[in-house]
Parts: sequence; structure tokens; C-alpha cells
Amino acid sequence: MTLFVGGSLVALAVVLFVLQPVVKGLHASLERDVFELTDTEARKRVALLALRDVEYDFLAEKLDEHDYHSLKAEFTAEALAALEADERAQGGAGLGEDDLEAEIAQIRAGLREGCVCDACGFSNQVGSRFCSACGQAVAAEAAR
Amino acid sequence: MIILGEFALWIALPVAVWGMALGFMGGRTQRGDLVLSAERGIYAVFFLLILASLGVSAAFLGDKFEYWYVASYSNRELELFYKVTGLWAGQRGSLLFWALILGFFSSICVFQNRDKNREFMPYVAGVLQGVLLFFIIVLLFADVNPFERLAFTPANGQGLNPQLQNYWMTIHPPTLYLGFTAFTIPFAFAVAALLNGRLDARWIQLTRRWILTSWLFLSIGIIFGMRWAYEELGWGGYWFWDPVENASLLPWLTATAFLHSIQIQEKRGMLRVWNMSLVLLTFLLTIFATFLTRSGLIDSVHSFAQELKIAYIFLGFMGSLLAGCVVLILYRLPKLRSDNRIESFLSRESAFLFNNLMLLGFAFAVFWGTIFPLVAEGVTGEKISVGPPFFEKVNFPIGLVLLALAGIGPAIAWRRATKRNLKKNFTIPMGVLLAVGTGLWVTGARHPLALVTWSLCAFVLTIIGIEFWKGTRARARIEGEGYALALMHLVARDRRRWGGYIVHVAMVMIYFAFAGAAYYVEERFHVLPGDTVEVRSPFGHTYKLTYEGLSVSLGKGQRNLLWQAIATVSVQQDGKQKPLMTTEKRMYVTGDLPMTEVGIRSSVREDLYLILSALDDMEGAVRADSNAQGIDLQVLIKPLISWIWYGGIMLAVGTFVALWPSVDRRRVALEGRTETASQPAMAAAE
Amino acid sequence: MNKNGRFMVGLVGVAAVVTYLIWTGVSQTMVYYLTPVELMARAEADPTFHEVGVKVSGQVIKGTYARVQGELLHTFQVMDPVDESVAFTVEYRDALPDTFTDEVEVVLEGHLRADGVFEATTMLTKCGSRYEAAPEDLAG
Repeated sequence: MTLFVGGSLVALAVVLFVLQPVVKGLHASLERDVFELTDTEARKRVALLALRDVEYDFLAEKLDEHDYHSLKAEFTAEALAALEADERAQGGAGLGEDDLEAEIAQIRAGLREGCVCDACGFSNQVGSRFCSACGQAVAAEAAR
Repeated sequence: MIILGEFALWIALPVAVWGMALGFMGGRTQRGDLVLSAERGIYAVFFLLILASLGVSAAFLGDKFEYWYVASYSNRELELFYKVTGLWAGQRGSLLFWALILGFFSSICVFQNRDKNREFMPYVAGVLQGVLLFFIIVLLFADVNPFERLAFTPANGQGLNPQLQNYWMTIHPPTLYLGFTAFTIPFAFAVAALLNGRLDARWIQLTRRWILTSWLFLSIGIIFGMRWAYEELGWGGYWFWDPVENASLLPWLTATAFLHSIQIQEKRGMLRVWNMSLVLLTFLLTIFATFLTRSGLIDSVHSFAQELKIAYIFLGFMGSLLAGCVVLILYRLPKLRSDNRIESFLSRESAFLFNNLMLLGFAFAVFWGTIFPLVAEGVTGEKISVGPPFFEKVNFPIGLVLLALAGIGPAIAWRRATKRNLKKNFTIPMGVLLAVGTGLWVTGARHPLALVTWSLCAFVLTIIGIEFWKGTRARARIEGEGYALALMHLVARDRRRWGGYIVHVAMVMIYFAFAGAAYYVEERFHVLPGDTVEVRSPFGHTYKLTYEGLSVSLGKGQRNLLWQAIATVSVQQDGKQKPLMTTEKRMYVTGDLPMTEVGIRSSVREDLYLILSALDDMEGAVRADSNAQGIDLQVLIKPLISWIWYGGIMLAVGTFVALWPSVDRRRVALEGRTETASQPAMAAAE
Repeated sequence: MNKNGRFMVGLVGVAAVVTYLIWTGVSQTMVYYLTPVELMARAEADPTFHEVGVKVSGQVIKGTYARVQGELLHTFQVMDPVDESVAFTVEYRDALPDTFTDEVEVVLEGHLRADGVFEATTMLTKCGSRYEAAPEDLAG
């Protein structure tokens, strides 16, 4: 007898617990959490991380100068693209300047005027006619 | 309580159906009330499964032998500990146990995400309920209900197989199950992502932690299993390429592949179809594993196939899952495609790809070797068997390539490795490899596989050591910290990477131990009390073993033991006296022939393994007849075997490091925009 | 695209090597897995069969187990569980597995000698935990 009552109570409790939201109109949130990483934010962070890793690898002597500069140029360009994409996604609301991003802004300016060697990818100074890294002639075209 | 438990299992059925339906509907219609109901359904099913499990345990503790399951795996004399753990002693109970743990993880997942990842959770809840529903259906309708009653009540149960009455055997299934079931969560998120189209960078971060956690449990579970086999099966072996072992290895291999290839997706946005497929495949393999181990299908070609119903249900489930996954991926193929390409054959991306290929090749070989006999029989009618020779022949070369990659990966650069870069990072390690190889050869080691393995071990260790060294030194210089502090901060800043390197070191330790198998020593002696035998180990130790005698103790029915015949052996290692060792034969109430308990003496270099193979005169020995004291003694020397267990510990440490949360992203965001550059990057490292 | 082509070639090459390994692995190491009835039939049909390694499963006949004193040699008779008239003697020179009992099901690897005795190099018994008792057995 007690078993019957106990079992029914359990069944009832479970059913009530599960059905309550539908019956009473209780809702679980379906909105994105404010602090959640958006996709563009996630990509931005990965890009910045890659940049930071390049710095540390160079300082740890895992990369020599040439590789360091060329990788840094590549990753910076990617970080820029990710930053821009993220800012656009955020509706243009700036994320605030911090050291790295200021540096990137500077590089951005530099890159717009400098040129990238076709052969080795080294980012050369403005107006270079020959690549400082590999010696090939550099076409005077704008950076990507 | 028992009846309540049985009843609870029945109630769980409609609740799971409801939860699954509402999860998917709520996701589709974006209705929060449906979703909340579905999520509550998960908690409810977990609660009901707890009741069901308690019911089964109560039946064991109460010696209720009218229940077939209790009668088959317990008896009155069984120790309390094994009655409590009887829940997972046999097929039926372990299916319930699996469902229980799945319910546990599902509840955690739902709770953790109650105000996060909300666009995924409705579908996640639906999928989780679906899998739970499957297990509930199997338990209730496939003739494997742990609450099944006999038509009568036996006076006593059959008791538990003595080989299962062992510490390891009680913790090995739970740890494995923790690993297997945990993979259901990333699977649920993957399906949710395929359904809602959110296949971007966030999905990676969601799934990575769960997959790493599952991988940790699975790794530990497999190593526990190896330890159990080593101690209890009495032959000194730890891996037999048995279908059940192979089944647990398959998802481990695909999960390891995923953990590597996911980094390519993160950095380059590539391989999204591949990664998605790996997650789905890993889950399918966990279901396949439970299918293999709990349906007895592969075990014997000539078996009586008692569990045919359950085999069909599992096959049906796996088949529909597979079909569903393929359809989903094809449906989302446009979104998953990426334009990026791997730039160079010599790059870390390429090394990761190669690693994946090797791991998948390994998995395929194991899979094929396991099911081939069945397939062949079905196709040609001929029965064949594929055993360890096959697995060793195919897997040893692949394993060695993987070991090499474990070193090449960390050292080679991303994107493209220039010749300069290669020279810089590989000269010293290659030098060490050759030096170690030559050194070993010179000291007399000639076994080719062992030579290659140990040389590669040195190679990988050198590379990882250099990585740690360079990183620490750089950090110490830049931040002006002492080396110890620099190391700590270095690791803390990029836990995934350094934790991963620690795991690589663990794998090196395990390979190191595996290669020791080339130098096993095995000797057999027939001895009478007082006899001394001598055995030499490959490392030069000389063991003088003196058989002191047999002592017999008669059990009083406790622990189901009738008698124990303990052979005591005194050990002298290189002339120095060491502690006594014993090995014994035990006769259980439930057995016909005695079981052997081995004696193991472990040290860093080697294990000394004694087996009382046979008593000359069993009856005489039990009677304590002084003429019946002769025994067959097997002595095994296992070089380096402890390194497997040390490696296992190291693996857990490395994975913990990788899993440990670094900076709380929430806190960082809350603290506003005053963050410095390092912090967002640090959070991203998580 | 050239790089990509080279890459694909590399990938396919590796896949081919692995497949080759598996293929030869199976064909070189696989062993026929027979019942005693099939074993006897083959032995009759093919005289060279005595050198071939095979795997046989059968059931130990109650009361036939004997251990040769002083040597590590066990002998017993194994029969086909389906056709009990077909049986042969087995010689086994290793330690007995703990689960070896009268009437246990065994899986033997070895070869059938010309004198009709099966020389077994390895022996496995059916795993204990998977043996599930029929309800009748529980009544005792």
C-alpha cells in the first residue's frame, strides 16, 4: 500500500515538475548571454593570440628574424581583418584601445603604404625597389 | 524500494519521449516554455534513473534472489563492497549504470548552460534525451531488464566470479563508462550546431572542454583495465587485442585525432567537415563499444547468441544514427566548406593532418581486425580468426610514426617551415636520436623495434624539453622573473599547449614501457621447499628465489573462499635480501578449479612477477601433507613495465593542466574596458 | 594548386600504405577458426593440413583431464558440442588458465598432428563473467 502511494507520489511529482513550464508559461531564456563570445570575437582573439605567440617564439629564439617578420606581417593582416570584422559586428562600437591594438593601428598605417614581396612575403618599407629579405625586385603595388 | 526503482524506470520512458520531442520542437519554434520543460525532463530522467539504480542496489543488499540479476551475480556470503558494486557486475545492470552516468552528465550540461549557449541548448537537450530514451527502451524491451524476476526464489545466488572480486575490476568499468558517456555531450552540441547552423568558431570552444574531459576519463579507464589484466589474469600481459579492449580503443583514437585537428580549424578555419565527422564518429564508436561488450556478438563465432534481440536493437540504433549524421552533414555542407588550403607539406598543420591520418589508420586497422571474422563468415562462409599477430604487424609501424610526430609537431613551425627553421629546431633532437640509438646498440641492445622506439623517445623528449626551456628562459628575461616562476606563468598563459606537451611526455613514457616487452624473461621451475632458483634480468640484476614453503588457510565460507594455498618465496636481488613475496592458489565456493593470485614486485626498472602455476598435489597440499609441497613456479621479469603506470599519472596531470580554466572570461568582461592586451588573449587560450 | 596536388598525392600515398599493411596483415596472420567436425573433415580431405596452424573451439569432455607429473604437460579430450561423437586429444604445454574446468568451452590454437593429437600452443577459455546462468541452474 505504501509502495503504491509512494510510487504514485513520485510519478506525480515528476510529471508536475516537467509539465509546469508548458502549463504555466514559464520560459527558459533563449537569448544569447551578454558575455558570450561572438564568433567574430572568438576569431579576433585567436588572431591576437597567434600574434602574441609569434612575438614570444621570436624572443625564445625559435624563429629567426626573417621568419619572424614575415609571419608577423601575415598574422597582423589577419588580426586586422578579424578586428575589422568584429567591430563591424559590434555595430561599430569601439572596444577601447589597448597596447596591442594601438600597435596594430600603427602597423595598419604602415602596411597601407608599404609593399609585400611576392617571392618571400617579407613586408618591406615604403618605396622599396628590392626586397630586403630575398633580394627580388618588388612591384610597387599597394599592400593587401 | 526495489519495486519503486522498477516503477521509476517505467516512468522514465514517457518522460524521455516527452523531453526529446519538446527539445526539438522548442528549438524549432523558439518557444522558451517548451525548452524549459525539456530541460526539466533531463533532471527528471536522471532522478528516475537514480531511483532505479538504488532499486537494483537494494535488491543486492537485501539478498533478493528472486531477481535473476541478483541471483546471477551475488550470494549471501559476498562481501558488502561487491554487493554495492553489483550494479555494474553484469550486462543488465551495466546498461542501467551507463544510463545513470549519462543522466548525470546530461544534468550537469543542462545546469551549466542554463543561461549560456541558449541557441544550442534546446537541441542539445533533445539529443541527450534521445540517447537516454534509447537506453531506457533497451532496458525495458530487450530482455535485459535488471528487475526481471524468476518464477521462484533460489535459496542462494551464484555469487560473483572471483576474477571480478578485485579492486581494479570495480573501478575500471565506471571510469570507462565515464569516458564513453561523456562523449555524448559534444555529440549533442555537434548535432545542435548542425541543426541551427551555428557552425562557427564558438562551437570549437564549446566542445573542446567536454571532449578533453571525456578523453581523460577514457584514457584512465583504459589504463586501469590494463592494470587489472596485468594483476589478475595471471599471465603478466596487459593488452590482448581482445574485441572488448579494441572497442574501447577506437573512440580514444578518434578523439585524439579530433583534439589535434581542431587546432587547425581554430587557426585556419579549415577541416570543418572533417572535425564535425570526427565528433559524430567518436560518439558512434562509444555506442559501438557498448554494443560489442554487452551483446556478446563478436566474442565467439560459435556462440549461442543469447542476446540476439539486443544486438538488432543496437544495430538499428547505430544505423539510424549514422544515416542521420550523414544527412545532417550533407545538408550543412555549404556552410562547412572553407576556402583555405594547407600551404606547405612541411608545417605544423601538415604534421597534424598526418597525425590524424595515422590515428584513423590505426583505428581502421583495429576496427577491421575486430569485425573481419564476422564479415568473412557472412560473405564466404569460412570462419577465420584474426589475432595479436595481425594487430602488431599493422599497428607497430603506425605507432612509431605517431611517436615521431609527437616530437615533430611541437618543433615545426605553423604555416610553412623554412629550411632555416627546420635546421634550427631539429638538429639537436636528431643528434640525440642518433646518439641514443648508437649508444644502445653499442651496449648490446639489438632488438630493432626497441631500438627505434627508444631512440624516438629520446628524440621527442629532447624536443619538448627544449620547448619548455626556451619558453621559460624567454619569459624569465622579458618579465624579469625567476625561472621557476617563469615556468609557472608560461604554462598558465597557454595551458592547452603546455598541458598537451606534458601529455606527449606521458605517451613517451608509455612507449618506453612498451618497448621493454622486447626483453621479457620467462622461466619455469619445479621446486620443493628449500629449493633456490636463479633468474637474470636484462638489466643485469640477478634474482635468487628460494621457495620457502606452502601455507594453507581454510576459509570459513567468508569471501566465498574455501581455501588458500600460499607459496612464500624469499627474494635476494644481487645478493641483497628483499621482502618476501607470495603467490597463491585460491579455491572459491563457486569454482571448480583454483584461481591464481600472482606476486608482483615492482621497481622503476622492472617487475618481478611470480606465478604459482600448479600444485603438485592439490588435495595433499590442502591437507597440509608435508610430502605434497612441490609446486610449479613461473618467474617472469618485465622490464620497464611500471612506466606505463607512471605515464598514466603524467597523462592525467597534463590533461588537468590543459583543462584548468585560466581567466574567467566573465570577470574580465565585467571589469570593463581597462583590460590590457594580454588578458583577452589569455582568455582566448582557454 | 600545384602544392595542393602534391599534398593529395602524399595523403593518398600514406592511405595506400596503411591499406596495404592491413591487407597483407590479414592474409598473413589470419587463421582458420573451426569446429572439431570441420577440423576432422579438413584433415581427411587434405593430408598437408597437419602443418597448418588453426584455431579450434570445442568443449572439454568431463573426466578426461590429466596432468603429466614432472612435466608441464596437460592432456584432455575435446569434443564438438554439436556432434559429440567427434572428439580428439589435446596436448597443452603451458600454464592452465584459471577458468579451466571440466566441460568448459575452450578455444585452442595449434595444429593437428599426424597421429591425430592436437598440439595446442595457446588456449583460451570462455570468459567467466559472460556466462549467464539459465534460470534452471539457479534453482540448485
